[in-house]
Amino acid sequence: MELLIYNEYEMERLGEKLAQVLEDNDLVYLRGELGAGKTTLVRGIAQGKGYRGRVTSPTFTLMNVYLLEQMQINHFDFYRLDPHDIYDLGLEDYLERKGLSLIEWPQAGAGILPAEALVIDISLVEDDYERERKVKIKAQGSQYQEKIKELQSLC
Amino acid sequence: MKDIYILGIETSCDETAASVVKNGRQILSNVINSQVKIHAQFGGVVPEVASRKHIENIALVVDQAFSDAGLEYADIDAIAVTNEPGLIGALLVGLSFAKGLAWALERPLLAVNHLHGHIYANILEHEDIEFPAVCLVVSGGHTNLLLMEDINNYQVLGASRDDAAGEAFDKVARFLGLGYPGGPAIQKAAQKGQAGKIKLPRVFLDRHDYEFSFSGLKTATMNMKKKMEQAGELQLWDLAAEFQQALIEVLVEKSLQAARQYEVKSVLMAGGVAANQQLRSLMEERAQSQNIKVFYPSLGLCTDNAAMIAGRAYHDYIRKSYAPWSLNAYPSLSSW
Repeated sequence: MELLIYNEYEMERLGEKLAQVLEDNDLVYLRGELGAGKTTLVRGIAQGKGYRGRVTSPTFTLMNVYLLEQMQINHFDFYRLDPHDIYDLGLEDYLERKGLSLIEWPQAGAGILPAEALVIDISLVEDDYERERKVKIKAQGSQYQEKIKELQSLC
Repeated sequence: MKDIYILGIETSCDETAASVVKNGRQILSNVINSQVKIHAQFGGVVPEVASRKHIENIALVVDQAFSDAGLEYADIDAIAVTNEPGLIGALLVGLSFAKGLAWALERPLLAVNHLHGHIYANILEHEDIEFPAVCLVVSGGHTNLLLMEDINNYQVLGASRDDAAGEAFDKVARFLGLGYPGGPAIQKAAQKGQAGKIKLPRVFLDRHDYEFSFSGLKTATMNMKKKMEQAGELQLWDLAAEFQQALIEVLVEKSLQAARQYEVKSVLMAGGVAANQQLRSLMEERAQSQNIKVFYPSLGLCTDNAAMIAGRAYHDYIRKSYAPWSLNAYPSLSSW
């Protein structure tokens, strides 16, 4: 599915809708250039799951964990990493554990990360940061196709 | 009084570091993995496929910390280790090694919060800090403004809502094609340009709280570059200078506003961004007229290191606040 998001507020609201269809152990890949709005979307998802703390960019910390009563959200950012770094830092271990995992810049994990996931591409319109964002959401794997159907009914 | 020697171990993120500090003040050794001659030990090349950098490095780094300090393992009084915040896998390497060493040597184990360590880098080097103080922690992963009652008590005044200050430096530097690491790259480019010729927003400066946001400044800078390119008049140096100034002014003004509100006489800066020359000089310049003293660590102690961990732990050693053998590592900051 594809939609246009006109500001930060709308991006967070889209995240809240995503939160309604995402569950424990789900995997989401967020792609898009610097400043596209990936962290903003994650903030919306975390808020939608009831998280009230800060949701900040994990570019340097590589991973933030948001603890909720019913589950934990693992917020990753592979922007700084090369594929071998992911092994060096033991990041793949986290994916075997419980939690809803949201990964910014999953490109560095190609070949390491699971193929089945909800993939979200955020892009600028006419290369202008002041304009709206185009958000494409697609399913890799059948369980995620169901989620897109659910999401479509919410949007 | 007997001299106290503490070994500090830090593996919270990318660096494997170890250090021996005497009496919480005197750095006898300060080893960071990139400085060690690990290459020589592997016969010239570190195999790229070798995983778990910290595991490979830690024994060598700790060994080097002892030999640089001219001490034997048995000379140490306690072992300190960073246990939060950071990557669990990375933290656990340091934590497990520290536990093993403390157990084998029959010495106490001390737990240090990585960010307390960064702040302590000031105390390692300056003896004249008056408390309470306002403390600005600015690095790639963190932007926090704190009121520090004393060495053990902190109150969070504000933090970044999106990107950390150092992260904004790195991302803008990469976008402007200035290289890595971003902090020094922007600083160098900014020296060739002039702030104020281009206008970028001072985000949240008009708010009367201590919250920060740098994501908007990042995108405003990137957008400005695109617009200038389209118009065929890209002034890269002026843009770098204005970006740096916009970010730094907010850090400086909010820190000094907090110092005035809480009537403190010292402002401490910590973390990698505290190495920025323009931040240091603008903070000092504006603080001087308000009779506030500014402190920051020397360049080598701004970035991740273990001397700050060993130094900070001295105060827990003195009050016998030892960590239990069940000590765990935590990815997020549990509390200040």
